[in-house]
Amino acid sequence: MSAPAAQRQVRRSRKAWSDVAFDVWGVLVLVFLFAPIAVIIVSSFNVGRLLVSWDGFGFDSFLALLAKPAIRDAVWISVETGFVAAFAATVLGTLAGIAMARHPGKWVWWFMGLLLLVSVTPEIVDAVALLPWMVFLGQDLGMSLFNDGIVRLVIGHSLFSITVVSYLVRARLVGQEAQLEEASADLYATPTRTFRKVTLPLAMPAVLAGFLLSFTLSLDNTVIAAFVSVSGSTPWPVYVLSALRSGLRPEIAAVSTIMLVLTLIALGLVALVLRRAGDSAADIARTMGGG
Amino acid sequence: MRKRLPGFLLAAPAWAWLAVFFVAPVGMVVWFSFGYKPSIFATQATDRLSFDRYAEVFSPTFFATFQNTLWVGVVGTVLCFLIGLPVAYWMAVKAPPSRRGLLVALVMVPFWTNFLVRTLGWQVILSPDGWLSTALQGIGFEPLAILNTRGAVLLGVVYNYLPLMILPLFVAFDRVNGPLREASKDLGAGKWTTFFRITLPLAQPGIIAGVLLVFIPLMGDYITATVLGGAKGNMVGQLVASQFQTAQNWALGSAMAVVLIIVILATVAVGAAIVWLVTLPIRASHRLVIGAPATAPASASIHEEVAA
Repeated sequence: MSAPAAQRQVRRSRKAWSDVAFDVWGVLVLVFLFAPIAVIIVSSFNVGRLLVSWDGFGFDSFLALLAKPAIRDAVWISVETGFVAAFAATVLGTLAGIAMARHPGKWVWWFMGLLLLVSVTPEIVDAVALLPWMVFLGQDLGMSLFNDGIVRLVIGHSLFSITVVSYLVRARLVGQEAQLEEASADLYATPTRTFRKVTLPLAMPAVLAGFLLSFTLSLDNTVIAAFVSVSGSTPWPVYVLSALRSGLRPEIAAVSTIMLVLTLIALGLVALVLRRAGDSAADIARTMGGG
Repeated sequence: MRKRLPGFLLAAPAWAWLAVFFVAPVGMVVWFSFGYKPSIFATQATDRLSFDRYAEVFSPTFFATFQNTLWVGVVGTVLCFLIGLPVAYWMAVKAPPSRRGLLVALVMVPFWTNFLVRTLGWQVILSPDGWLSTALQGIGFEPLAILNTRGAVLLGVVYNYLPLMILPLFVAFDRVNGPLREASKDLGAGKWTTFFRITLPLAQPGIIAGVLLVFIPLMGDYITATVLGGAKGNMVGQLVASQFQTAQNWALGSAMAVVLIIVILATVAVGAAIVWLVTLPIRASHRLVIGAPATAPASASIHEEVAA
């Protein structure tokens, strides 16, 4: 009984310096990771005219948001796009994920290959490819649907999200045997009913997590949005990007802070959903770290 | 029995969506890259196809940007690995298990914070009129002059992609943690031996994932270079963007995008080959030859676990 304890004692006293070094390094890196975020949050309470120079504490920049319709509209466009894009990606991704898990075959390799291709293509390539494509569909082929700002944004934002939702739903269902569905079929449930009453509830944690992650991804998408958005429906990151050229004011920090809070709420919900479905910290890290 | 539709049709909508909005547009860009810009007012034409745009991409002006991007990409990925590896090991092995969830959350928050906002944060920190610069001047340093240099871009990309290195490494170390490392120690291996012969080889899938997750998007980065790089810290992403947005030369921009993808794939292939060659003698000397065939299934199952 006392031998391992004594050993541990010895080990601890001998290893102390390296453990301390790990602690110090870990904390330093975390400080590094939070530094610019903290700066932005603090700057949003700056009453000065410019983001960089601190003039004093106040809520002026948040009040200015209310007075500036341009930023308000941009935030609204982002939220609207986020919901529609997340919905589209969740429907398409869930169906694809269920098909991959429950109807395996050679086609799954091809489909996984396509998903991999979508997820590793640099965003800038997607962006510059979608711009002429939307022009082609909307103007050359006369499908005016593709001239609509929201439609364009939703399409651009859904691409990566579809791969995320597909992976999540597939991983969740592959981990669970198909016995329940077989039992349901044996009890004379129609395929549609089995799908609705058994498969979908089994996949639900992944579907919800996928929806929230897609919403967040869409909310934050800057590169594709900068290329496909049309004037009149500018999402907030594109507004911030354009403000970069005209000088950064504390309102930019204020809107960033608000969007950060929104993102954190969505992420907190994702973690909650996964926790309740029985995932460990490492599982959650894998899910939310992009595979 | 009722006739049932084949199940893979459930994936048909996603197939169609990705075919129309991913495969077709990227295909069109590849097609454009063989075309040319006919006049000031037209963006591209493809009635004459040639490799001329590719020749243009390799002209000295643009080629320098490709070299610069490759430098930032490789150095940035190496730095992310060197900085992130100890952090991931600390989170998975050294930190008490009760804190693990909190640590994951702490890495996750910066990762999910808007990319542009995070980068703007660095612009504020590094600004010559900012508080850091003022503080440094207060203790007798020169004002900060790092903004709009390649150094600022490197700092920015290391910062922006670091969580993408830490998270897969953490997942990998977390999986290795436990019985195998204990066994190694019980058999008399020191901590360094255990790390290099057990932990690191078993964490290999996580290392590969982390390196690819950092390197590929980093090479196509557009935001970091735009916000922190100015004129000197030019990256290919900006070059492609400017061809489409300002120069309105879609043919040249498309060729640049295609070359960018080829450069990324080639670098990954070369990197993999180098790693394979370098580790060849190490693997050869560490290979364990066991006579009894009974142990073969056990080692095979370990490999399967690693691959999963």
